[in-house]
Amino acid sequence: MLAQLSGTVEPGRVLVVAGPNGSGKSTLLNILAGVIRPSRGEVRYRQDEGDIPRARWFAHLGVAAPDMAVYDELTAVENLMFFARLRGLEARLDSIGALLEELGLAAREHGRYVGTYSSGMKQRVKLAQAVIHEPGVLLLDEPSSNLDTAGHDAVARLVDRFRSRAAVAVATNDPREMAWGDARIELAL
Amino acid sequence: MRASSLLSESLAVLGKELTSELRSRVALNAVGLFALTTLIAVAYQIGPYKIEEADRPHLLSALLWIILFFGATSGLARVFVKEEDARTAKTLRLAARPLAVFFGKLGFNLILLLGLESLVVPLYCALMSYTVESVAGLALVMACGAVAMAASSTMVAAIIARASGSGTLFAILTVPLALPLLVVLIQGTKAAATSAALAAVFPALRAIVSLAGVTLVAAVYLFPVVWHD
Amino acid sequence: MTERKRSPWWPWVLFAWMALVIWAAFFYAPAAKGFKGESARIVFFHVPQAWVAVLAFCVNLIASLRYLRRRDLVDDARAAAAARLGLVFSVLATVTGSLFAKVMWGSFWNWDPREVSIAILLLVYAAYFALRESIPDDERRASLSSSYAVLAFVTMPFLVFVVPRIYWSLHPDTLINARGSIDMESRMFQVLMGALAGFTGLFSWLYTLDVRLARVGLKRRQSEES
Repeated sequence: MLAQLSGTVEPGRVLVVAGPNGSGKSTLLNILAGVIRPSRGEVRYRQDEGDIPRARWFAHLGVAAPDMAVYDELTAVENLMFFARLRGLEARLDSIGALLEELGLAAREHGRYVGTYSSGMKQRVKLAQAVIHEPGVLLLDEPSSNLDTAGHDAVARLVDRFRSRAAVAVATNDPREMAWGDARIELAL
Repeated sequence: MRASSLLSESLAVLGKELTSELRSRVALNAVGLFALTTLIAVAYQIGPYKIEEADRPHLLSALLWIILFFGATSGLARVFVKEEDARTAKTLRLAARPLAVFFGKLGFNLILLLGLESLVVPLYCALMSYTVESVAGLALVMACGAVAMAASSTMVAAIIARASGSGTLFAILTVPLALPLLVVLIQGTKAAATSAALAAVFPALRAIVSLAGVTLVAAVYLFPVVWHD
Repeated sequence: MTERKRSPWWPWVLFAWMALVIWAAFFYAPAAKGFKGESARIVFFHVPQAWVAVLAFCVNLIASLRYLRRRDLVDDARAAAAARLGLVFSVLATVTGSLFAKVMWGSFWNWDPREVSIAILLLVYAAYFALRESIPDDERRASLSSSYAVLAFVTMPFLVFVVPRIYWSLHPDTLINARGSIDMESRMFQVLMGALAGFTGLFSWLYTLDVRLARVGLKRRQSEES
C-alpha cells in the first residue's frame, strides 16, 4: 500500500527508491513498469513532447527485478537475441557478446544454457536483457543482488552509461547502490 | 529502432517456444504418451472387429476424437503455465507486444496439435481398420479442427496460468468450450470416412471454420486483458 | 443511521403471482394432447427455467463486458450474481427436462441438442465459479472471469443454433413454428406466458438482492482499506 506519490524523472538524474523491506519499493517499480495498475493516479512516459502509449512501453522500458527470470533452456546469447527480436531489433552477435562481457560474463559461458549458470551469472544475463534494446527508461530493482564486487562495479558502470540518456530508477537497500542516486525517495513502512 | 511487425515478433516467440520445447520435450512427451496410451488401450480392447459394421462410422470417429482431445489437453496449457512457473512470464510481459505472445504461442500449440494428429490418425486407422473414403476431406477437418482447438485452448491456458495454473482447472474450463467443437469435428470426420465426395465435409467444415474465426477474434480482444492483468 | 425503509410491496406481488401460476399450471390449463397424461404440465416450469438460465447468461455477458471496459467491481458483482442464478436455473431446467424425458420417452437422457445445450451452459457456469474460486485477488478474479465469460459466450451459439440444424431433435417443435403462428392451445399459452413472467420476476428480484448485498460488501471493504 503506497500513499500519495508524484514526481518526474528525466534522463541525467538517477532516482533511488530506498526503504526497509516491505515498504513497497518493488511495488513502486512494478507500477512504474506498468505491471501493476495503481488504484489511483497514473504513470506517463513522454518522448519528444508526446506521450508514449502503454502498448508501446515494452519497446522503451528496460526492467530487471528479483522476481523475473530469463529462459533456462536457452543460452545467454539466444536469450538476448530473443529479447532484441521482440522489439524489432536484429542484434548482432558481436554486440551481444560485448554487452555480456561488459557485465562480466566470460565469452566461453555465452553458449551454455542459462539453466547451468550460477545465480550471479543469471543476474548478469537479466541485466543484459534490460539494456539490450537501449531503452529510454531503466528500472532496476536490487540490481547488484547475487553479484560479487566485480559484478557490482559492472552494474555501476552500466548505470553511469545510461545516466545521461535514460531515466533511471533504482530500488535498493544497498548503501553502495544508493550512492548512485542524485535524487531519492524514502519509503517507510 | 526500426519498426517491426507483429508477424516477426510472433515468429520470434514461436521460435523460442519450439527451441525450448525441443530441448526439454516435456509437452511432447506428455501429449504423445497420453495419446498413444489411450490409443493402445482402445485398440486393444476394441480392435478392428468388435464394433458392428453399421455403428462403425460414428463410433470410430467419436473414439478418435476422444483420444486426440485427451492427448491434447495434457500438453496445451504448458505454453503459459511454464512461463509462470519459471518466472519468465514477467520478463516476457515487459518485453513483448501481447498479441505477438498470443500468436507465437498459438502457433506452437497448433504445431503440437497437427503433429499429434499426424501421429495418431494413421495409427488409429491402421489399428482399428478405419477406412476413410475421403482422405482430403479428413485432412481438411483435421487441419481446421486443430486451428479451432488451438485457439480456444491457448486462450484458456492464458487464463488459468494467471489463476492457479493447475491442469484440473484447465480441463474444467476447456470442456464446455470444446464440446461444441468436438461435436462438429466428430461429424466432419464421420462424413469424410463415409463419403468420397469432398463436399460431404463442408457443413461441418463451415461450423469448424466459423468457430475458429469467432474464437480468434474474441482472443484478439481478450488476450491483452488476460495477459496484462 | 439508516432510516427504516418500508418493506417493498412487489416481492409480495411476485409471491402471489407465482402461487397463481402454480395453481393454473395444474388446474386451469388443460392436459396437452399427444403427451403422456399430465406430464406436459412440467413445460410451464421447464421452459421458463431454461429461459431464465439463458437470460442470466446474457446478463452475465453484459456485466462482464462492462467490467472489461470500466473496471468497476460492481459490474463484476453483477456478473457473479447473474451467474449464480444462472447455475441454479440451469440445474433446475436440466432436471425438469430430464424428468419429462423419462416420462415421455422412457429414458432420463437422450442427447437431444437442446438438452445438451442446457447441460453445457451448466458446465460453463460451473467452470466460471471454479475459476473464480481459484483467484484470491479481486481485480484479477474479475478480469479473468469476465474474459472467460465472453469467450464462453461466443462459443455457445454454435451449440444452440448451428448443431441442431444438423441433428434431428427430440424436442417438441418450437411453439413459434415456420408459419409464424402460435401452435398452442390458448389457455396453455396464457399459463406459459404467465410462468415466464413470474420466473423472470423471480430472477430479477433475487438478482437485485444479490447485487445490493455485494455492493454493501464492496463499500465496506473499500472503506476498510482507505
